[in-house]
Amino acid sequence: MRARLPRAAGWTALAALGLLPALLPHPFVLTLATQAAIWALLAASWDLLSGYTGQISFGHAGFFAVGAYAAAAATKHAGLSPWLGLPFGAAVAGGLGILAGFPALRLRGHYLALVTLGLAEIIRLVAQNWLELTGGPFGIHDFASYPGLPAGPLALRRARYVVTLGVAAAAVVAMAVVCTRTAAGRAFRAIREDDVLAASLGVNTTAYKLLAFGLSAAFGGLAGTLYAYDVQLVSPSVASAATTSLVIGMAVFGGLGTIWGPALGALLLFAVGEALRFAGVVYNLIAVGLVIMVFVIFLPRGLAGLARGR
Amino acid sequence: MLESLLEFAIQGVVLGGLYALFAVGLSLIFGVLDVINIAHGEFFALGGYLAFAGIVLLRWPAGAGVVAAAIGTGLLGLAVHPLLLGPLRRRLGRRPAGPLYLVLTLGLSTFLQSTLLLAAGGEYLRVPPHVRGVLDLGVTAVAYQRLLVLGAAVLALAALFAFLAHHRQGLAIRAVAQNPDAAQAMGIPLGRVHTLTVALGVGLAGLGGALMAPLFNVYPAVGFPLTIKAFAIVIVGGMGNLAGALLASFVVSLAEAFSVMAIPSEWQNLIAFVVMIAVLLLRPQGLLGRAVVR
Repeated sequence: MRARLPRAAGWTALAALGLLPALLPHPFVLTLATQAAIWALLAASWDLLSGYTGQISFGHAGFFAVGAYAAAAATKHAGLSPWLGLPFGAAVAGGLGILAGFPALRLRGHYLALVTLGLAEIIRLVAQNWLELTGGPFGIHDFASYPGLPAGPLALRRARYVVTLGVAAAAVVAMAVVCTRTAAGRAFRAIREDDVLAASLGVNTTAYKLLAFGLSAAFGGLAGTLYAYDVQLVSPSVASAATTSLVIGMAVFGGLGTIWGPALGALLLFAVGEALRFAGVVYNLIAVGLVIMVFVIFLPRGLAGLARGR
Repeated sequence: MLESLLEFAIQGVVLGGLYALFAVGLSLIFGVLDVINIAHGEFFALGGYLAFAGIVLLRWPAGAGVVAAAIGTGLLGLAVHPLLLGPLRRRLGRRPAGPLYLVLTLGLSTFLQSTLLLAAGGEYLRVPPHVRGVLDLGVTAVAYQRLLVLGAAVLALAALFAFLAHHRQGLAIRAVAQNPDAAQAMGIPLGRVHTLTVALGVGLAGLGGALMAPLFNVYPAVGFPLTIKAFAIVIVGGMGNLAGALLASFVVSLAEAFSVMAIPSEWQNLIAFVVMIAVLLLRPQGLLGRAVVR
């Protein structure tokens, strides 16, 4: 019962932040809010794998990039409608996630983190160098975004925000439902706590680890597709370690292993970062680094932990 | 043909010296503290900045600048354990750390890189070569600067190995790496050893940064690609195994140097990661590591 209240408060806070741009329909606010929603989805998807299932991945930027590139390339070169591009990018990223899960089955802790970091770096190098597929350092641009949206600049911005928020929100809720109400979620928690014990109790850790990788990668890739259709430019920098670093910072800030915590942490940290941007571009990354260090030492359960009174 | 082979070999060996400075320091920290220092590259960058400050701003001779940069980086590294790693360790007690140390050093990396960006700006700072001139070997030529990097790296690593083998503090470090509880029971102060180890490890990175400053230029993110590659090297060599890190550094650097004969040069950077993944799947303990049940 005690855990219900902070969780409900967390979801309420998320909903409130989602409605915020309705009160401040300025195009700049809407642009920021759209990006914030994408980060929230990305952070929550990382948490599903690393916080909830305990498989520490330092390569999440790779899945984000794969989703973004897949959607952008499909729309640009094959004329795929962006509405279909969303699930397509997610599926490609999810498939890659399952593939990445195979070597991960044998690895734990440091090794897993470093391998996933290496995988993301490989993805980034491929994105940077494979000109025909990815456009090289210049990336992919000049591709269509969602058709059928209102045309005026403010109305278009608002419509895009609603689309992005809707997809991101639905995805985060879906992840939370999977984690809290299904057998898969119970398996994820068991794997996180002690995967050897879980296996000895009959949990199919192989299948569930692969599922966690696939889901996390698919939702991370979905965030990538949302990013692609919002910004309409995909370049190798989306696969950089800085992206992963920010995501991890947001997740630690919000509280690992809760799904809603990292989403909320992402929104808040993003808002703080943008507010600090007015003081000088570099301060927000310094703040992120400080936040990560302080929270890991003193508040390892993040905001979610604070809410639970730890 | 012979010229290019020789040239690749020299390039590979020189680069290997740099990788070794970096990877050995990283492996040392891991072997003793069980922590992977994601911020290692930022100390490399810091070494470059300190060298710039000494050689370009203060007009010290190159040798003094490099030594001062290495020592300066090491001194700053002394703060890492008492301020960050120590408090986390105390907080965790005997509980498994999970990703927390990794996240902590990731935060440190972000913090240091952005602070460098803020303090020094993002432009590439130029440091003049520490030594000028070229050694003519008949079939090819090597810049003295590159030989200096290799020579200094070899000297520094030899000094480190000698320290670890014979000096009291070095033996204490090895004792803690082998078995922290037993070392503590013998009266070795864990915190102090940890602090010293981190300072030594990042000092080596700072030395590398100071030596490479004329070749790489100096900017905040200069160290990060090296860091990731160094992780791959350390895994290939066997985590915590210094000789393995040394060997793997040269294996990777020579593979990269010779790879240009077969693949376009942009793909060079992939080699380290591909080798790492292969090693992890086929021989997870690395080239020289002992097989561990995991």
